[in-house]
Amino acid sequence: MASTVKYLRVPPNSASLEEARRRVFDFFKTACRSIPTIMEIYTIDDVVTPSQLRSIVASEIRKNAHISNPKVIDMLLFKGTEELNNIVEHSKQRHHILGQYVLGRPEITPDSATKDQGSEYLKNFFRSNYF
Amino acid sequence: MASVTASSVKFSSVSCLIKQNQVSNLKKASLSFTGNGSQSRRLPVLRFRITCAAKPETVKKVVDIVRKQLALPEDRDVCGESKFSVLGADSLDTVEIVMGLEEEFGICVEEESAQSISTVQEAADLIEELLEKK
Repeated sequence: MASTVKYLRVPPNSASLEEARRRVFDFFKTACRSIPTIMEIYTIDDVVTPSQLRSIVASEIRKNAHISNPKVIDMLLFKGTEELNNIVEHSKQRHHILGQYVLGRPEITPDSATKDQGSEYLKNFFRSNYF
Repeated sequence: MASVTASSVKFSSVSCLIKQNQVSNLKKASLSFTGNGSQSRRLPVLRFRITCAAKPETVKKVVDIVRKQLALPEDRDVCGESKFSVLGADSLDTVEIVMGLEEEFGICVEEESAQSISTVQEAADLIEELLEKK
């Protein structure tokens, strides 16, 4: 598919922040356009809708929205493209997709299973390694 | 000047002979109105901007998608002229809204046209244009 064969040769670094922005938007559009394929491959039609997947992709991109170095942005895009290619060519499995991207998001799976009697320390511990 | 009515308009520009006394990068545009007989006119005009107002239901669908995407409350007024930046959308939100519209209407928006969208009305016009071309 033309959308997967993106970075066979690593393209030269973005000259400016503006070009990096454009590349980010192109990556986002590629991801959005491959969402129907992904939903079909992993049969997640009954778990998420395409617009939820779009907002998941957007939130992943937004996590790094504060970066201003074009080279770092290029590196992140490279990793993102690699991840997208892995997903589209079915190198992953359904539970990978669901666990990494769908579950744990408050707007998609309302978190009813959190026990409230845990301490603050324990909550931070469950959330990430670094706090 | 030809006046544009509600009938659909096909617009194609053909580059041909360049007269000596004209500007070097002038394109000859041939305009044909479907529904008025095949009346082709050649106008030595470089740019011909055709603005047809989008249908209200298209605008309504766009407004719904924008509202859902930006999670706007019901009382926030979104009309044809509201700009995306005013409604609190950053550039990634705008791209996401365009992708949502692509999926909803089954169209494919090119790169350049997507960059120029800044208000709801422009998005609806672009959608109309692409739907007509199909």
